[in-house]
Amino acid sequence: MARRLRIAIDYDRCVGSGICVLTAPHVFEFNDQRQSSVIDPTGDPEELVLEAAHGCPQMAIFVEDADTGERLFPPPGLE
Amino acid sequence: MLVQDDLLAPEVVADPYPYFARLREEDPVHWNQRWGGWLVTRYEDVVTVLRDYERFSADRMASLVLELTPEDRDRLSLLINYFSKWLVFTDPPYHTRVRMLINKAFTPTSVERLRPRVREIVDELLSEVAHRGHMEFIHDFAFHLPVIVISEYLGVPPEDREQVKEWSDETSRIFFIRADEPDRRERSQRGLQHLLEYFEPLIYDRRRHPKDDLITALVQAEERGDLLSHEELLATCTVLIFAGHETTTNLLANGLVALTEHRDQWELLRDNPSLVRPAVEELLRYDGPVKATFRWAKTDTELGGKTIREGDRMLAVLGAANRDPRKFQNPDDLDITRTPNPHVAFGHGIHICLGAPLARLEAQEAFLALSQRFPNIRLADRPREYHRTIVARALKELWVEW
Ligand code: HEM
Ligand code: HEM
Ligand code: SF4
Repeated sequence: MARRLRIAIDYDRCVGSGICVLTAPHVFEFNDQRQSSVIDPTGDPEELVLEAAHGCPQMAIFVEDADTGERLFPPPGLE
Repeated sequence: MLVQDDLLAPEVVADPYPYFARLREEDPVHWNQRWGGWLVTRYEDVVTVLRDYERFSADRMASLVLELTPEDRDRLSLLINYFSKWLVFTDPPYHTRVRMLINKAFTPTSVERLRPRVREIVDELLSEVAHRGHMEFIHDFAFHLPVIVISEYLGVPPEDREQVKEWSDETSRIFFIRADEPDRRERSQRGLQHLLEYFEPLIYDRRRHPKDDLITALVQAEERGDLLSHEELLATCTVLIFAGHETTTNLLANGLVALTEHRDQWELLRDNPSLVRPAVEELLRYDGPVKATFRWAKTDTELGGKTIREGDRMLAVLGAANRDPRKFQNPDDLDITRTPNPHVAFGHGIHICLGAPLARLEAQEAFLALSQRFPNIRLADRPREYHRTIVARALKELWVEW
């Protein structure tokens, strides 16, 4: 059973690069303002969600284990 | 209306912010006759133009090529072919594909591992001048840092660095409208030719002998079975050498001016080095290296109540958006603790600067070291002159003492 993720977008940072939307298309989608929004945290495998978070040029994506609260991205010191 | 409506008037080149402010308040989507396009100055409108790539295209080469005579098109075919592959000039789907392939090498976490080396380079450069008590900041320091960092990351050996930088400068001649250089397009093409000949064997070499460098990473970059073509690789290597140079140099120089002219902010940083991250964001916002970037309208449309015609040029004035009081409190104040700081100094939307994480890292290390090693640095009493360009906010020289 894959763990459940909590994913948050910092809208002061998101510039709508679209990189997360292309990387994990079933998790992230552009909203009307062309910023990213999370449509389904379980839409793609965790690996792709983390790849999207890594790929974000603005460090705008935060990922946690929804049950334990463990921070999965960004790594400590880099937020 | 506007007393002075000239992006290149001497007083606007020296300090564009009063002109930007007047546009933003009086006519935020403004037809500028001289430039032949719309100047967009409010944060919200700038962001709209840069996000909406379906209405506003970044394919600046297409319109440029149309202006050339057929003979010129023949003569400059190499230039046209490569420039039209440079990310900053392309629209989806080409842009999407290449950007996704290159992006992995430039994410914040992948450039973070360069930090110790960047710190070392900053230290070496500053040690060379420390005993002098003064320097010309741009040529003694700010110019070298980005060249060394990107050359090392790409895998260009130190002994070739100067030469590669020279060719890159030649190539970039075309971007600066200098009426006094009638042969600038030919020189640009020659520079590019040299760069291509230089990178060609390096790429072949890394295919056979992978190393821990960016060329290898680009050669191996793969996204769902897709690879960069040989031409795309060459285009990318040349653009990386060019794109990160002057912009980063200018961030360091403009940033140092801003900090030394706001002594309280300099002291705040000196005494609180952990503020360096928000400080760099604020320097980008306050007096960023790129004043504006342009797009053209792909359809008839409307912006800020103005009717835009298909083919119209749109100048998204980043420097004006970054001082918009509708978005930033006390926008004309330098406040290195400002958070959040959603400035648009690196652009916005799908063309957001690829090198932003690297530029941020370099500037953080530079201002950290400067504030610790030269706590009393001050500007020398000399006039400051900026290059006369629409796009770049670039000082010619910057003399400092300590
Ligand atoms: C402080 C330094 C820098 C600033 C202010 C800056 C600014 C910008 C801006 C405003 C854009 C968007 C242009 C547009 O939308 O038309 C851009 C794009 C770009 N920048 Fe930078 N840049 C900097 C440093 C760098 C560095 C160090 C590199 C490479 C190592 C780089 C590579 C690029 C590339 C490749 C693009 C095109 C991205 C795309 O179209 O997807 N830049 N930059
Ligand atoms: C990354 C590589 C870049 C390349 C290869 C490039 C190339 C060019 C070229 C070929 C032109 C046309 C010059 C002419 O009319 O002969 C141009 C103009 C221009 N570029 Fe870039 N550019 C780059 C980056 C940027 C960036 C980062 C910005 C700003 C964010 C920018 C903004 C502009 C603007 C506003 C003009 C129009 C200038 C004018 O009309 O006077 N460019 N550029
Ligand atoms: S990758 Fe980051 S900046 Fe780009 S759309 Fe997603 S959250 Fe926004």
